[in-house]
Amino acid sequence: MPEAIALNVKTSDREASTSARSLADPRRASRVVLAIFLAPALLVYCGLTAYPAFRTIFDSFFTIEGIEATFVGLANYRELISDETFWIAVRNTLIWSFVAPVLDVATGLLLALALYAGVPFARFLRVAWFTPVLLSYVVVAILWMWIFNYDWGILNAMLRAVGLDGLASSWLGDPHLALASVIVTHAWKWAGFNMVVCLAAIHSLPREVLEASELDNCGWGEKLRYIIIPMLRPTLLSLYILAFIGKMKIFDLVWIMTQGGPLWATETVSTYVYKRAFNWNTFDLGYPSAIATVWFLVVCASVVILNRLLSTRDRLEY
Amino acid sequence: MRLRAIGLAVLTAASLGSAGLALAQEKQITMWSNWPDEPAKKDWVAARVKEFEAANKQCSVKLSFIPKADIYTQAKSAVRTGQAPDIFYMEPDQPEFLAGGFLEPLDSYVDLANLEDWAKPAWASKGKVYGVPVEAYTVELYYNKDLVKKVGVNVPASFQLSQAQFLDLVKKGAAAGITPVSQGVGDRPFPGGQLLFESLLRKLGSDDYAKLLNGELSFKDPRVVEVMNWVKELVDAGAYPKSFATLKLGESHFYFYNTPGALTFPDPSWFTGRAFAEPEKGGMPANFPLGIMKFPAMDKGNCPECKTLAIGGSFVMFSKSKNKDCAGAMLKSMATPENGTKWIGEVSLQSGLKSDQDKIVSPRKDYFAELNARNKDAKYFFGTPLLYYRAKCADTYVQVMNNAFPAGLLSVQEAAEKMDGACLKK
Repeated sequence: MPEAIALNVKTSDREASTSARSLADPRRASRVVLAIFLAPALLVYCGLTAYPAFRTIFDSFFTIEGIEATFVGLANYRELISDETFWIAVRNTLIWSFVAPVLDVATGLLLALALYAGVPFARFLRVAWFTPVLLSYVVVAILWMWIFNYDWGILNAMLRAVGLDGLASSWLGDPHLALASVIVTHAWKWAGFNMVVCLAAIHSLPREVLEASELDNCGWGEKLRYIIIPMLRPTLLSLYILAFIGKMKIFDLVWIMTQGGPLWATETVSTYVYKRAFNWNTFDLGYPSAIATVWFLVVCASVVILNRLLSTRDRLEY
Repeated sequence: MRLRAIGLAVLTAASLGSAGLALAQEKQITMWSNWPDEPAKKDWVAARVKEFEAANKQCSVKLSFIPKADIYTQAKSAVRTGQAPDIFYMEPDQPEFLAGGFLEPLDSYVDLANLEDWAKPAWASKGKVYGVPVEAYTVELYYNKDLVKKVGVNVPASFQLSQAQFLDLVKKGAAAGITPVSQGVGDRPFPGGQLLFESLLRKLGSDDYAKLLNGELSFKDPRVVEVMNWVKELVDAGAYPKSFATLKLGESHFYFYNTPGALTFPDPSWFTGRAFAEPEKGGMPANFPLGIMKFPAMDKGNCPECKTLAIGGSFVMFSKSKNKDCAGAMLKSMATPENGTKWIGEVSLQSGLKSDQDKIVSPRKDYFAELNARNKDAKYFFGTPLLYYRAKCADTYVQVMNNAFPAGLLSVQEAAEKMDGACLKK
């Protein structure tokens, strides 16, 4: 009997230690334990991300007026093809997505290089340049609407002060300038973020390579062109993709500054979806859902393509 | 002694019970109002709520003041999910709420005899009335008497300039470095179209103007083109501020009666909501030489005495409200001739509620006298363009007629084509 007791004790010790190991190592955890830990996150994900996404796709096959929903098949998608405003919004969003990230990343890189090169008041500038990142879109938008104001905005005031009155413009009121003006505002807000990432990447570059280039009498321009930028390429590409994804759904800044005007010159897909869902004297959620579905697929496809492009690059080793 | 103690305990329990019952019976309704930045209107609404609560102890009101654009957006989301407030602010230019079945007919709650007969149709559908039309307005052309005189223009006794005289006023203002028309479209979808559409009403007359707004008359009609050409002349002569695209409604008030100052200000008569606030709160200076002109008479115009009348801020009940009794009682207590009289006196603005002209107490009697004089022989056309335009047509109006055309970004032909493309019923 005592032996049996001893055996039982040993067995239960073993079970306890196995159980402790399985808790410590999630790969050995039982499905029940995994489910318990995953459930809250899954619930939040399903409720707030997956369900709305699937519901949007589902709704895109209906016309929903008030409480009534009528199945219309692909009618919303057919209407989309001939919707002139939608295509203007697509064009503007693509300009945002491809052009604005270049400006964002280039500005961030320039600022980072300035700090790396030891520009005077670098500590102060680092904080000053980063501050816009901390501001909300609402504040940034209002600030730049003041800057762009035709009558008393600082931009026109400066142009007039240096005798360039002819260049003073209604920056947000001219369809030829409005989109560029909003893009510049956005670049100003995010330059600090790109600067910090670029600066960190520059500081992590191998000293030996940079020192070797200096031994070879490499000037700043050549060092930048042949060494720093190629070595920063993965960082810059990551920043570009991040910015690209952000711009594909740009809304806040455009809505506050121009509401898509003048003459749809700054209309983006997101502002158009919002207008169709909330500003068009209709409760129909079907058509805006169709726009959102199409754009969701476009964004997914773009991210996959860009990721492919990024992953096929040879990894830099040093 | 013991018996008394028991009796006291029973009495206490009964009192607590009845108090608890009373508490349980008290209902709180929610109410969203516009006008957070218009003190006179805000005070009027708050006073009506207080009066209602004092007279109806079983009901309390949780009142919130929310900017108009936000109310519309929030209400659209809220009604879809059944979370809308029991009473909320609405204007007749949002018919989708009625069409969607989200508004409760008020016939059994409100004494409809207390509403002006001309105001009811704005909220009527299938024989039922769905809104309490607190605010009514006419579209007016305000002007600065001193500045207009300064640029050398005498306003005639009829208070109505001709097309050529108004163009002359604009040119003289621009030449003197004074903005002729204070107007901006930074936060509103309609102000840029006011001058053009009021002129079209006077040119076409009510019937054809209604056809234009209903998509039955083309913007390429020679009479429409003629008026548009004239407005284009005004625009090219520098009628509007250069900051037109971003100037907000509140800022356009400041622009008109403070800095830098403008000759005229086309604005619905809810002008007073902002203008009659204290100057330190953005209101008009006490000594401002405010005048009211009629919109210019069009050459060979069909109806020089026509003008737009519309219903503005109104209150509606959510059809799925769980407290319809209290909400209905609240609207009933609001919709009385006494309150209409108070609205006119305190806000200096017309009302869709009936009122007693003799009992109006207003610190702005002169203003009212002038407004009434300008409206004396008016022939009213009901509704502004956005009351008629829907969906793509409304969006095109906002982008083209409200913004691009008065900003000088489009020719007459381009603007007419875009409007016809979106609004004309083929």
